[in-house]
Amino acid sequence: MSTILRQHAEQLFAQELEELGKYDMGKRPANWKLTPQAVVTYLVGGKLNNGFEVTPKYIGSRKLMEIAVATLATDRALLLYGLPGTAKSWVSEHLAAAVSGDSTMIVQGTAGTSEEAIRYGWNYARLLAEGPSEKALVETPVMRAMKDGKLVRIEELTRIGADVQDTLITILSEKAMPVPELNIEVQATRGFNVIATANNLDKGVNELSSALKRRFNTVILPVPDSIEEEMDIVKRRVESYEKVMELPAEPPALEEIRRIVTIFRELRNGVTIDGKTKIKMPSGTLSTAEAISVVNNGLAMAGYFGDGRLKANDLAAGIIGAVIKDPVQDKIVWQEYLETVVKTRDEWKDVYRACRELI
Amino acid sequence: MQILGIRHHGPGSARNVKDFLEEMKPDIVLVEGPPDANDILQWVGKSDLQPPVAILAYQPEDPQQSLFYPFAEFSPEWQAILYARKNNIPVRFMDLPVMHSMAIEKERIEKAKTQGQEQKKENEVAEPTAIESADATAAVEGDEKAVPHFPIDPISHLANAAGYSDGEKWWEVMFEQRLNNEAIFEAVGETMQELREAFPKENDAREKLREAYMRKVIREAEREMFTNIAVICGAWHVPALTNMPKQKEDNELLKGLPKVKIQCSWVPWTYDRLSFESGYGAGIQSPGWYEHLWHYPKDDGTRWMSKVAALFRGKQMDISVAHVIEAVRLADSLAALRQLPRPGLYELNEATWSVLCNGENILLNLVRDELIVSNKIGAVPEDVPKPPLQVDIEKIQKRLRLPQTADWKDYTLDLRKENDLERSIFLHRLLILQINWGEKTHSSSKGTFKEAWRVQWRPELSVDIVDKGTWGNTVEEAVSSFLIDRCKSSSSLQEVAGLLQLVIPAELTGAASFVATHIANMAAATNDVLELIKVIPKLADIVRYGNVRQTDTDMILSLLTSMVTRVCIGLPAACCGVDENTATAITDDSLKIEHSIQLLKHQPFQQQWQQCLQQIAFNVQAAPMLRGFAVRHLMDAGAMKEEVLYNTFYSSMSKAVPPPEASAWLEGFLKGSGTLLLLDENLWQMVNNWVTQLNEEVFTQLLPLLRRTFAVFSKPERRKIGEKVKFEGSGITKTGTQISINKERAETAIGVVMELMGYSSN
Repeated sequence: MSTILRQHAEQLFAQELEELGKYDMGKRPANWKLTPQAVVTYLVGGKLNNGFEVTPKYIGSRKLMEIAVATLATDRALLLYGLPGTAKSWVSEHLAAAVSGDSTMIVQGTAGTSEEAIRYGWNYARLLAEGPSEKALVETPVMRAMKDGKLVRIEELTRIGADVQDTLITILSEKAMPVPELNIEVQATRGFNVIATANNLDKGVNELSSALKRRFNTVILPVPDSIEEEMDIVKRRVESYEKVMELPAEPPALEEIRRIVTIFRELRNGVTIDGKTKIKMPSGTLSTAEAISVVNNGLAMAGYFGDGRLKANDLAAGIIGAVIKDPVQDKIVWQEYLETVVKTRDEWKDVYRACRELI
Repeated sequence: MQILGIRHHGPGSARNVKDFLEEMKPDIVLVEGPPDANDILQWVGKSDLQPPVAILAYQPEDPQQSLFYPFAEFSPEWQAILYARKNNIPVRFMDLPVMHSMAIEKERIEKAKTQGQEQKKENEVAEPTAIESADATAAVEGDEKAVPHFPIDPISHLANAAGYSDGEKWWEVMFEQRLNNEAIFEAVGETMQELREAFPKENDAREKLREAYMRKVIREAEREMFTNIAVICGAWHVPALTNMPKQKEDNELLKGLPKVKIQCSWVPWTYDRLSFESGYGAGIQSPGWYEHLWHYPKDDGTRWMSKVAALFRGKQMDISVAHVIEAVRLADSLAALRQLPRPGLYELNEATWSVLCNGENILLNLVRDELIVSNKIGAVPEDVPKPPLQVDIEKIQKRLRLPQTADWKDYTLDLRKENDLERSIFLHRLLILQINWGEKTHSSSKGTFKEAWRVQWRPELSVDIVDKGTWGNTVEEAVSSFLIDRCKSSSSLQEVAGLLQLVIPAELTGAASFVATHIANMAAATNDVLELIKVIPKLADIVRYGNVRQTDTDMILSLLTSMVTRVCIGLPAACCGVDENTATAITDDSLKIEHSIQLLKHQPFQQQWQQCLQQIAFNVQAAPMLRGFAVRHLMDAGAMKEEVLYNTFYSSMSKAVPPPEASAWLEGFLKGSGTLLLLDENLWQMVNNWVTQLNEEVFTQLLPLLRRTFAVFSKPERRKIGEKVKFEGSGITKTGTQISINKERAETAIGVVMELMGYSSN
C-alpha cells in the first residue's frame, strides 16, 4: 500500500490506462496516449474486448463526455462549467490523465493568481547575478505543458482577475507564449490544450471576456438526474475512499446511502421525492460531492468510535454540517425539514433521534 | 417490375427514388397510399400545390372520422408522384382504400364495445377488449407512416447488432445519409426479407389485407400490359410484394370487405404537424433538417451551421465566422469519435450547444423551433375540390387579406375602419363555429374600438371546417344555423346569454333576434332568480358597447328591461332562508348588477333596483349579508335617511344579535370597499363612532367578528385603516408614505379597470 495520501488519477488507474492502451488500435491525435474513443471509454466505463472491466469515472450522460473529448481533439480549449461538486475537477483530472498520462499540470485559480503563475516567473537571485537568461526563467505548468504537448488544467478560472485571465488569449489562439525579455517565444507542441473549470454559483467571480469565452467550448455538468444515478456515484466514490483510507468500518449498506442521497436531493430541489411536500431550501449547494464526504465521515466515525457499522448517529453530524452553512437561516430550514419530513417517515426514526440530539 | 423500399419522409430515400426512376424510365408508378385519392393526384406538379400538403380523407357523413396522408417535398412518395406527373405516365395509389379500412375499424370498435358490455354483464375482466379497442382507435388515427412501426421495432435488432442505440438512427446512417446509392433498393429488400423471416407478424390481419390489396393493384397494372412498373412502398412491405402468392388467395382475402363513403381533398399541412408523434402514427422529429438534407445532400455541416449563425444573429446575438468554423470542426470530430462518416443532426446540435450557446439549452430550443422543425405551411390551389364552406372561408380570407400562416400573427383591428370591422366579424363568426383560428387577446390601447387578435393556422382546422360544413355552405349560413341549434339544445340561461354575447360582435342580425327571443322565453319560464342575476351583467355589457358596432341595441335593451324587472321582483324572495355560501354568491352577483346599473345610467333601472334593495334591507328573513349589502348601497345612492341608516346599523350590530349574523351583516355592508371606507368620510365616521362607543367588555366580545370582516381587505388597505385610526386627530392620513406603487393593491384594481374598459372580469 502506498503511503501517499491521495494518488493521482494516472497512478490510481494505471492498470486501466495500460489495458486500454494495449487494445487501442485506432488513430491517436499527436501526443495523445489513447484514441478519443478509448478516452471516452475510460471516463464512462465499459468492457474491453479482452473482458477487462473499465470502471466508470463519470456517471451521467455519455454525450457530454464525447463533446469534451472531441473538443480536446480539436484545438479548442474546454471549459467545464457547473455547480460546485458536480465533478468538474474530477472530470478534468481524468481527462488529463487519459489524454496526456499526466494530470499534474495544474494552475489553481484564485483572486490572487498573477500573470506570473500563468505565463512564467523569474528566479530573481539568478536574474540579478547573471542577467536575463533562459536559466533564470521559472516555468509555469502552462509553459511546461506547451513544451511537452500535454493538457494543462486551470481550476476555478472565473476566480482569477479579468486582466490575468486574458493572458490566456494568446496562448489559446496563437498557441505560443512570447518571452519579450529574452526575445524568444515558446510554441506549443501538438497535444497541448487547456481544460478550465469554473462554477456558476460563486459570489465575486470574474465573468470571462467574450474574446476569451470564444476560445472555449463550454460543457455544463449537471447535477445527477435521478436518485439511482446519484446513489451510484456516492457508492462508488465511498468504496474507493475506503480502500485508500483503510477505514476499519464495514462498507455501508445501500439503504444508508439512499437516505443520505434522499435528504440531499430533497433539500436541494426544495420538494420531497414524492413531489407532495414543498420544503425550504438551505443556502448551501448540497452537491453529490458533499454527500460522498458525509458518508466517508460517517464511516470514519463508525470505524474509530463506533462498532464498525455505519449508523444514523455516525452520519448525523456530517449531514448537519453539510446542510447548515448559515447558522441562523439554515438551522430553521433544517429543523423544519426534520420535523415535517424526517419525523413522518417511520423507518427514519433513528435519523430523527440522532439529529435531534445534535441540535 | 421494380420495387423500391423506402422510409416515409426520408430525404435520402426520396433522392434515391428520384434518381432511380429517372434511370429506369417506368411506364407506370404505383405508390403506397389511399386509392380513394387517385382522382386528386392530377394536381401534383401544379405550381400552386406546394408541399407540405396532406390528403384529407374523410367520411362525408361523419367528417371527424378522417385520416391525413401528409407529404413533404422530401417524401419519396411525393417525388415518385411528381416524376410520374412530369413525364405524363399514370400514377396510382395501391394501399388498402380508406373506404375499407375505416369501415373495418368501425365494425371492430362497435364489436369491441358490445363485447365489452357483454363482458361487464358477466362480471369478467374487461381488460383485453379495452386494449383491443385502444389498438383499433390507434390504428384508425394513425396509418403507420415511417419505418415499420411495431411494439418492438425489428429494425432496432439490426441496429443493436450494428451498435446503434435505436433503429431510426441506424437507418439514417445506413440508408438516408449515404451518397453512394448503388443497389441500395436490393439491399433494403434483402434486409427486410431477413427481418420478416426472423420476426413474422402472422396474426396481423390488417397488415395482410393491405399487402393483398397492394398485390392486387400490381396485378391489375400487369394485366393492363404495363411492362415497366415502379412500385414505391414502405421498406417493410417489399418482400410481400416480391414473392407473390396465388391470386386466388388474395382475392379470397379481399372478398366482401365492408365499405363507407369517403371523400378526399388536398389540405395545407405544416412542418410543425409533420413532427407530431400522435396525429398520424410515427412522426418525424426534424422536418426542417430533412428539408436541408434534401436540398443540400452534400453539406458537411457548414451550410447548416451558417444557417444557425444567421438565426442567432437575427436575434441580436453576436456570432462570428470563427464561431461557425469552430462549431463545424467540433461536429466533425464528434462524428469521427462516433465513427460516423459525417456529422448528423445530433453532432451538429451538440456542437451548436457547446460552441455557439455556451452550454445553454434555451438557445438550442430556438434552433429546434426555427430550423430543425422550421414552421412552414403548404399551399393548395383554389380549384381543388373542397367542401363549399372551406371555399367560402378561403374567399373571405383572401378578400380581407387574412392569410393562413404557420406561425402566429398578431392583428390589431380598428373597428372604425371597414375592412378591420369585417375581419373582426369574420373571426368572431369562426369562433362561434368552434373553428379556433383566431384568439382574442388584450389590446394594449385604450378605447373600445380596438381589438387585438392572434391568428395561427393549424392543419386540423381543415377537419373542423369539413365538420361544420354540414351546417351550411357559407360562413354566415353555417354560423346562423349552428348557433340556433346550440341555442335550442341549451338548457342553461347563462349559456344562451353567453351565446348572445358572441352573436353581437359577429353581426348576425337574424340569429341575434332569435337568441334574444329565446332568452326572453327562457327567462319567463325559469323560476331561478339566481340564474337570471348572472345574465344581467352580460346583457348590460352588450347594451353599453353595442353602438360601437352600429348594432341595433333597442332589442337588447327591451330584453334587459324585462330581465331587470324580473330580477327586482324575484330577488328579495330569493334572499330569504339561504345558507352562507349562497348568500355570498348572491352578494357577489348583486355587486356586478350594481356596477352594470350604475354604468348604464338608465333611470328606470336605478329606481327598480333601489326598490328591490329597500325590500331586502328591511326584511328580517333575508340573509344578513345581503341585508348589509342592501343598506350600504342604498346609503351610497342617498336613498336612505341618515337617521334610519344609523339606527339600522346600530341595531344590526348590537350585542343581542348572534355574532355570526352581525359579522355577516358587516361583511355585506363593507363588501369590496376597504378603500371606500377610507375615502368616504360618512361611512368612516359611522363605523368609527360605533366602534369607539362600545365599552371594553362588548368590544372584546365583538373583536373576533370584526377581525373576520376586516381580514378580507388587502394588507395595504388594512394598514391604511390602521393609520387612519391612529392619526384620526389630524383628520388626514399620511400620504407621504405612499410613493412607490403597491403591486398587490394595483392588482385588485385591475378587475374594475378591465370592466370599465369593457372586458368581462371573469
